[in-house]
Amino acid sequence: MLVVEGLTCRFGTKAAVDNASFSIQPGSFVGVIGRSGAGKSTLLRMINRLAEPSEGRILFEGVDVTALRGKDLRQWRARSAMIFQQFNLVGRLDVLTNVLMGRLAAVPSWRSLAQLWPERDKAIAMSALEQFDMASIAAQRADQLSGGQQQRVAIARALVQEPDIILADEPIASLDPRNTRVVMDALLRINKHFGITVVCNLHSLDLARSYCDRLIGMASGRIVFDGAPVALTDRIARELYDLEANEVMDATPALAPGGSAVPALGTVAAA
Amino acid sequence: MGRSRDLPIPALEKSMRTAVPEFPEARLQELADRYADAVAAKRRRVWLGSAVLIAAALAAGWMGDVDFRKFAENFWRFPAYFASIAPTFSFSSAWNDLSEWLWGLPRWTLLLGDTLLIAYMGTLSGAICGFVLCFLASANLVRSRTIVFVTRRLLEFCRTVPDIVFALIFVLAFGLGPLPGVLAIAIHTTGALGKQFAEVVENIDNKPIEGVAASGGSWIQIVRFGAVPQVLSNFVSYALLRFEINVRGAAVMGFVGAGGIGQDLIEAVRKFYYSDVSAILLLIIVTVMLFDFITERVRHRLLGLEGTGA
Amino acid sequence: MKSFSSDAQAAIVERYPSHFRPDWWSRAKITIGLGTAVALFLFGIAQLDIPFHRLSDGMARLGGFLRLMLPPDPGSWAEALKYLNALGETVSIAFLGTLGGALLALPVALLAARNVVANRIVHFFSRRSLDTIRGVDILIWALIWVGVVGLGPFAGILAVICSDFGTFGKLFSEAIEAADKNPAEGVRSAGGNHLHGVRFGLLPQVFPILLSQVLYYFESNTRSATIIGIVGAGGIGLQLAEQIRVLEWQKVSFLILLILIAVSAIDWISGKLRFAIIGRRAVA
Ligand SMILES: Nc1ncnc2c1ncn2[C@@H]1O[C@H](COP(=O)(O)OP(=O)(O)O)[C@@H](O)[C@H]1O
Ligand SMILES: [Mg+2]
Repeated sequence: MLVVEGLTCRFGTKAAVDNASFSIQPGSFVGVIGRSGAGKSTLLRMINRLAEPSEGRILFEGVDVTALRGKDLRQWRARSAMIFQQFNLVGRLDVLTNVLMGRLAAVPSWRSLAQLWPERDKAIAMSALEQFDMASIAAQRADQLSGGQQQRVAIARALVQEPDIILADEPIASLDPRNTRVVMDALLRINKHFGITVVCNLHSLDLARSYCDRLIGMASGRIVFDGAPVALTDRIARELYDLEANEVMDATPALAPGGSAVPALGTVAAA
Repeated sequence: MGRSRDLPIPALEKSMRTAVPEFPEARLQELADRYADAVAAKRRRVWLGSAVLIAAALAAGWMGDVDFRKFAENFWRFPAYFASIAPTFSFSSAWNDLSEWLWGLPRWTLLLGDTLLIAYMGTLSGAICGFVLCFLASANLVRSRTIVFVTRRLLEFCRTVPDIVFALIFVLAFGLGPLPGVLAIAIHTTGALGKQFAEVVENIDNKPIEGVAASGGSWIQIVRFGAVPQVLSNFVSYALLRFEINVRGAAVMGFVGAGGIGQDLIEAVRKFYYSDVSAILLLIIVTVMLFDFITERVRHRLLGLEGTGA
Repeated sequence: MKSFSSDAQAAIVERYPSHFRPDWWSRAKITIGLGTAVALFLFGIAQLDIPFHRLSDGMARLGGFLRLMLPPDPGSWAEALKYLNALGETVSIAFLGTLGGALLALPVALLAARNVVANRIVHFFSRRSLDTIRGVDILIWALIWVGVVGLGPFAGILAVICSDFGTFGKLFSEAIEAADKNPAEGVRSAGGNHLHGVRFGLLPQVFPILLSQVLYYFESNTRSATIIGIVGAGGIGLQLAEQIRVLEWQKVSFLILLILIAVSAIDWISGKLRFAIIGRRAVA
């Protein structure tokens, strides 16, 4: 279980995240919503420890994550995989090596630095790519791929970290509608098949409503809503999004997850 | 073509008149004034800049003992110098003259080889040190301000002190020979390349770095996988450029006793062996040009390869 | 993922054998490349007869020198003034040398730029002569000019001019060739001739770049100008070489300190000016 207690992050005097507290059950799919600048990214980055909390604690299965240093911190980062809006792949490296980045914390340093990856880790990476129908482009440079492909590589990288929790920071904000569907379905599939907790920042309310089983709403750093999607009334949503409300609520038609059932393995990316 | 220009083209003139409206004189004046105002500030800046430049040039000329009379009086010596060091060739015995002029060719070739080796060894060791240090000098990779600051000052020191000054000191410490030359070039190269490398590293894309860090990579792994692939081709290109510069530098290391062809050159100059001076100079120039030609080829190929892998 | 079995691994390996076979070709390339580099280095050690036994001794002696250098001390006020004067000379050499080199190089660079003078022969000869001039180290130029105008900073200025002439000629012509050709085309399309195109379409865009290159080299020339004193061409190098020769280490460190300060100051100023002229691009 992930527990966040009074988490605060200040940049100068401004609190990007202000006294946030919540806990997340294993296996849930949580959406964090709010307009841009609300502090969603900062919250996720603090959980992965890319950003340093100014106050408060993060506990995972009773371990204080905020106190971790060195090797332990790197292990935690591997267990809490990040997926970024801009994919954050190493463009100059090939797809397979990018996915193998997810094994860095598991492979002895000298082997990874010399690019002498153990066969087992390579096999794990290849099978992750295969799940997203990308095994055939494993040798291509990452920066030659389309946005949707890159994000799938990033998800594969997250997957091979064997994470307990996946933190996705607006994973679909740079993608077209079709790839949005592919990526969100992939996250859902990972959540349902492997039971990995997913915490996903989303700008679009409709997407959040249709994919998540719980929503956390943020406004200027504070958590202002926490509950099931049905509990999020239009009135609360309008408050949450303020001027952006019309844009997030009306413009995009509701995108339901692919079919009513959870998509089967290896079928999603075929689209 | 030429004729058609002289022909009056009434239609065109008429259409010009309609396309460009004719303003009344006052309005025209006003527009012109406004334009003059707009450019006046810029013009003032240019004038001020020129004035400062000229004043500085005069001051520097005074400091630097610039003496045009001396220059005019002595300028003939410049071509004369080249005339005096030019080898004498006569048509009948051209081959003999040539072999006489290049009498020291075997020795000079060896010394030139030594010079290239000094440059190579200095560049390689310097590039390796610069490569290691540049990441420590990059604020986007190192949290500790102290480490960044100290590394930067160190690199700046190594870069600012010219290699030949290091050589002067090292000759006293290590004795005459190529060793002080190699060390001097290595240290200067560490500074020069380290600073250039660090500038490259500070301008890389931060997203891959974050990606690797978020997956649990250690600092070394972040550098290895997040930074190095982005900078490697640039680094190699800079190192090759520095190699070219170092070949020139190594050619004069001998002036202070630090090995290579410079030793023979300065001796020939001091002892007025004019034909030797010209022969050695020619050899140096040819070597440097050949070398530049090769490295330029390599650099272009590297830049061309940039698209294919890291 | 947690339950990744060896069966699954075998299946994957069988399906994508190419990704699991070691890539002998690229490994061989890397090994050969590194091997050659190391072998050449070792050959250098043998060929140059590098005396390793002197390394430890020399380091110790160097450490001794360093200890003697602290604290930097010019000796007396008169000495300090002399050194400051020499520093002024050095900066003057660098300044006038850079300026003169740039002024001389501009016309030749225009001749050497393919998009200004389309004549292959002119292009070839101007390029080659610039290369020849660049092939001669600044110290050699200084040596030559000392022979012509005698000892002193004036020879140094002329040496910097010559050496910069080659460098700037190449840099300028490359910058001119890299310029966007659309503006010049626009000027010609409006009825201008080739020279108009160069004057109004080309020069205005390259001028700031050239200026920034000149400013950049001012700093590097100050560093070069510190050494030409070694062969008698004026400036602080003369003092430096002399103090090293007589083992006055405190004066040596004082002189090096002066050089460091002057070069940093010029670097700072030239950086500011470059930023003012062409903005953020000034890094290169
Ligand atoms: N590294 C940073 N330095 C300074 N301010 C930051 C930094 N990161 C985020 N902020 C500020 O914190 C606030 C929250 O940002 P963010 O978490 O990115 O919001 P969101 O992801 O919801 O759009 C914003 O006002 C932003 O300007
Ligand atoms: Mg964000």
